[in-house]
Amino acid sequence: MIISGQNLSKSYTSINALNDVSITCSAGEIVGVVGANGSGKSTLFKILLRVMKPDTGTVTINSKRIKPIGGIIEKPALYEYLNPYENLKIFASMQGLETNRQFFLDSLTKVGLPLNRKDPVRNFSMGMKQRLGIAIALLNNPECLVLDEPFSGLDPIGIASLHKLITSLATEEGLAILISSHILDELNKVCHRLNVLKYGKIIQSGTTQELLNKCTTAYVITASNIISSSILNTYNVTFKNDQATVIIQPGKISELLQILHSEHINITSCVPEISMNKLFEN
Amino acid sequence: MRQFLILFFLFGFCNLQAQDIDNDIIAIQKRSDTIIKFSAEVKINVDISFINIPGKAARIEYAKNEETKVYSEDFVLIPKKGLDVSLYQLFKDPFITVDRGTEIRHLKEYKRVNIIPTKRKSDFSIATVLIDLEYSRIIEYEINTKKDGSYIVKMNYAKPTSILPSKIEVTFEIERIRIPLKYMGKDVQVDKKKYKSDDPKTGTIFLSFNYTDLIYK
Amino acid sequence: MKNLIFAEVYKLFKQRKTYYAIAAIFLIEIIILFSAYSQGQSILDILLDNLSQSFHFEGNLLNGNLLIYLILNTLWFHLPLILIIIISGTLTSEYKDRTVLSVMLQPISKWKFILSKYIVAILFTLTIVLFLAMTSFLLSYAIFGKGDLIVFIDTLNFFESSGAYYRIKYAFLFGSISMVFFSVVSLTLAIILEETTKTWIAAAFFLIISNILLKVNFNNYFLDKWLYVKLTDTWQYLFYFEIPWDKIYWNTSLIIVYTIVTMLVGIIIFNKKDIA
Repeated sequence: MIISGQNLSKSYTSINALNDVSITCSAGEIVGVVGANGSGKSTLFKILLRVMKPDTGTVTINSKRIKPIGGIIEKPALYEYLNPYENLKIFASMQGLETNRQFFLDSLTKVGLPLNRKDPVRNFSMGMKQRLGIAIALLNNPECLVLDEPFSGLDPIGIASLHKLITSLATEEGLAILISSHILDELNKVCHRLNVLKYGKIIQSGTTQELLNKCTTAYVITASNIISSSILNTYNVTFKNDQATVIIQPGKISELLQILHSEHINITSCVPEISMNKLFEN
Repeated sequence: MRQFLILFFLFGFCNLQAQDIDNDIIAIQKRSDTIIKFSAEVKINVDISFINIPGKAARIEYAKNEETKVYSEDFVLIPKKGLDVSLYQLFKDPFITVDRGTEIRHLKEYKRVNIIPTKRKSDFSIATVLIDLEYSRIIEYEINTKKDGSYIVKMNYAKPTSILPSKIEVTFEIERIRIPLKYMGKDVQVDKKKYKSDDPKTGTIFLSFNYTDLIYK
Repeated sequence: MKNLIFAEVYKLFKQRKTYYAIAAIFLIEIIILFSAYSQGQSILDILLDNLSQSFHFEGNLLNGNLLIYLILNTLWFHLPLILIIIISGTLTSEYKDRTVLSVMLQPISKWKFILSKYIVAILFTLTIVLFLAMTSFLLSYAIFGKGDLIVFIDTLNFFESSGAYYRIKYAFLFGSISMVFFSVVSLTLAIILEETTKTWIAAAFFLIISNILLKVNFNNYFLDKWLYVKLTDTWQYLFYFEIPWDKIYWNTSLIIVYTIVTMLVGIIIFNKKDIA
């Protein structure tokens, strides 16, 4: 385990931002924290990144590196009047990192940033700023990366590309990565484990699949001839064009799909529909 | 007899009128007249309570019957009074003299004489000179000018035979500077009593001369 | 520490507003130079009016030394005003852009980070004063030449050209220490207030109050000796006919102490603050 937060609590005057929260992340693992706005995600990450002191609880980082943990809180904060190369250079020099030009170019390439952009970062898109933020977070080779709402403000292509980057950092470089978001769809594609945060408390925790299974109440099956299925008539189903939304337990979906296949229904996709109420129920 | 006495007294007074200029003054005037021209390096030191200025150097050029010219490379306060070492100002206009007796200074007796210009447009109204009879020269004079107030000039000579003084001390009255507060300077603690005082101050200028190119008649 | 200082210098000179500030200072200097030149003669005429009855004046008092002296008198408000905007901006802009947080997410010590900002603020202030001094001397002497300097401080003081140069040089030196004090105060206010506009207002208010209190006669030995407002115009003592070096050294030492104390207060506050 690279990072562990035990029994973390934090209050701001009259608000209990965090209440006895514990979270861990190991090398090569991507752990997600999902919660509505104001649920305490940013507070938790600030405490894990040690830029905020908890009222109670401890944060343990098992790393002997100069910089054990890197991260981004909310939006990446960059020197807008400098270009990406200069931003990397200044952050590297501030922490005494002895490097050369090639190092910075490699860092930019690693996060998918173009090398020919010399203009200041203020001209960049949010996606590119996020990538640069990650590049800066990765300076000095931390063992753990904490990204607070990294997908916020990104378009679908940007999100997909960031997913790819995060996954490669975990699998290829063995980083322990913690990500937060208020949108489950952004997390369930990359995270190995999920924690659900509500009013400063973790109400659900487990592998992504476990949690998704627990909260899936229906599936959306897409097929060009879905309407002709007879088995579906025995289910609580809603049809819309080529899609049928079927209320069914996760354990029973494979059986249904086999029956549909036998009915020569040309299934092109089957997407679980997660009940937010179930996800966020205490 | 009575008529003779009246005539005698009249002629006597006429003779007195003919004696308007003191003989010692004439002798001094004749000596001064021998100077045709000279140049001098002058060191000027000013002692006025509200002025601080370091000693300055200037060069003066005198030619007979002309105003003395002053030259300097630095900024220098050139006194309007006191540079007249040849006593040109005293003797340039016709004058009469009045004997005022003698005065003892440092155990030496000096003759006091008033010089009164007879010309209406003369620069001064009266001057009182102190004459060193032994060396036939003026050691001090007080002059009441019409435009520039009155001042006292003391002269020191290097040698008994010197015609021109090596050192001059000019003492005069000067009004204190009045300027609005906070003008080019620190806001010092203003002594209001001192500032309101209307008393004119006394200033002294010390001049020392090093003569060159001295041409006598 | 050295890396942090270089980084701060790099950031400062990578921002356009730094150059705008330098240009503004230079422009103000030019304007003051020419307005001082046009005003200078009338000032001299007033000052020398009484003396003109007893003296002729040979030589030119309206020269480069007088103009630099007039610049010195006017710049000790304009210059710190611009400096406080730039110096406080080195931190408030980081709060605004949240780069303070990014920096604190790196293995960088808080107190070293803020100390490096103070050091660069001091170096920048001294550099600006040096720039001002050099340009003043260059322009004034080149255009108006050298000559005796006349200063009225209770008495009318005349200084020979070489003496005037010496005094003006040291006036810039001691004046720069006062400027450093104002810069350090503005950075400390930035630590406390964080927000740009609030910091500018507070720092400008501090400067204005200091200038007002400087003129007030407290008639109190303790206040006149120890209150910081009475120390910021120490440079004026260089123009007393007899320079009171003891007083200058005392005032300068005291203002350096106040500067260091202000820095320490800022560092402690920043260190204790929750950056997030």
